[in-house]
Amino acid sequence: MQPTDVLIGRLLDDESLTLDELARACGVKPDWVVEHVQAGLFSDGSVAISAQRFSSVDLRRARRMVHIERGYDAVPELAALVADMLEEMDELRMKVRALDPKK
Amino acid sequence: MDFKDYYKILGVEKTATADEIRTAYRRLARKYHPDLSKEPDAQTRMQEINEARDVIGDPEKRSAYDELSSHPHAEHDFRPPPDWNTGYEFSGGDAEEGNYSEFFSNLFGRAGRGHAPGRHMAGEDRHARVQIDLADSYQGATRTITLQQPVIGEQGRVTRQERTLDVRIPKGIREGQHIRLRGQGAPGLGDGPAGDLYLDVQFSPDARYRIEGADVYGTLPVTPWEAALGASITATTPAGTFDVQVPSNSQNGRKLRLRGRGLPSEPPGDFYLVLEVVLPPADSDKTRQLYETMAREMPFNPRQRQGA
Repeated sequence: MQPTDVLIGRLLDDESLTLDELARACGVKPDWVVEHVQAGLFSDGSVAISAQRFSSVDLRRARRMVHIERGYDAVPELAALVADMLEEMDELRMKVRALDPKK
Repeated sequence: MDFKDYYKILGVEKTATADEIRTAYRRLARKYHPDLSKEPDAQTRMQEINEARDVIGDPEKRSAYDELSSHPHAEHDFRPPPDWNTGYEFSGGDAEEGNYSEFFSNLFGRAGRGHAPGRHMAGEDRHARVQIDLADSYQGATRTITLQQPVIGEQGRVTRQERTLDVRIPKGIREGQHIRLRGQGAPGLGDGPAGDLYLDVQFSPDARYRIEGADVYGTLPVTPWEAALGASITATTPAGTFDVQVPSNSQNGRKLRLRGRGLPSEPPGDFYLVLEVVLPPADSDKTRQLYETMAREMPFNPRQRQGA
């Protein structure tokens, strides 16, 4: 590929991920996604699994949970709890950064 | 390529038990976790630690690695002897191969494992972070990103090559959103398709603005008399320059909304001008007199609500 070619990607959320695509993006089997969705660990479970689509937020959360489960042999519920806290930290960091942009 | 001492990376003895390796990994993973660590090289260290865990935390890989490292070897310009892994059967790594070192990829990656002729497999998806300016989201932009990519040569040897991509940043993108580039991830095996590349978008810090979702906040400094009497003021935002009406009796911190002037996403966000009342310094006789006149003639106690 020539470096001058400009790649035009798709913005996730305009084009959300299917269950299989989310699994591949996280390096897990689709069963992992199914089990976590059914357990309500990263969606409210209100949509049927087959129709479920996943956003940027889901992708970040799923990758964090995979990392925590693998790295610490954590049960999914604990990984979800850590992911909840990291998401809250993201929000708080954004607010702190607004008050002090050097952080 | 450099020889990797995975025991040293995890800080354990070669005789370490599986429990000791697990404990050492968790201690370091906590220290260098990219979401928490303030160490500048946290990302790199975390990749090293993960790689070391994937090798010496796996009995089969550890055994092969121990066998390999027990023979005299060069620390730099290391090349594994031919058929060094005869008798071992590695399972595939779970993590993205792009995150592994050249050393790992040569020993345990696809090149090291080899693959049966005629076997096809899709390449793995890869992830990278890209930092953009707020203005890039307002106007759209093209950003150049550089990635390290493992490339398998004709003889199966893996080298790392820099790969430069020019990527279009879509207008209206918000922090934390991903851009998906199909077919730009790891190459597939055989005729298998390449994986996708996901770019995780972050905004560069900008002291002038605060961003919440698609809404953007900026400060509008005003004089005490503009806040008290009301005024028409020209405000500069990333969406352009606007004349705004500051209502009379405005207090510090009051927000003026410019509807639809936040990030141009779908739907567009709003821009909020947060009033900051700035007092002129009492650094001349004239200004001191004016403050003294106000103090004398304006019955005003800002601490009244506190019971003062």
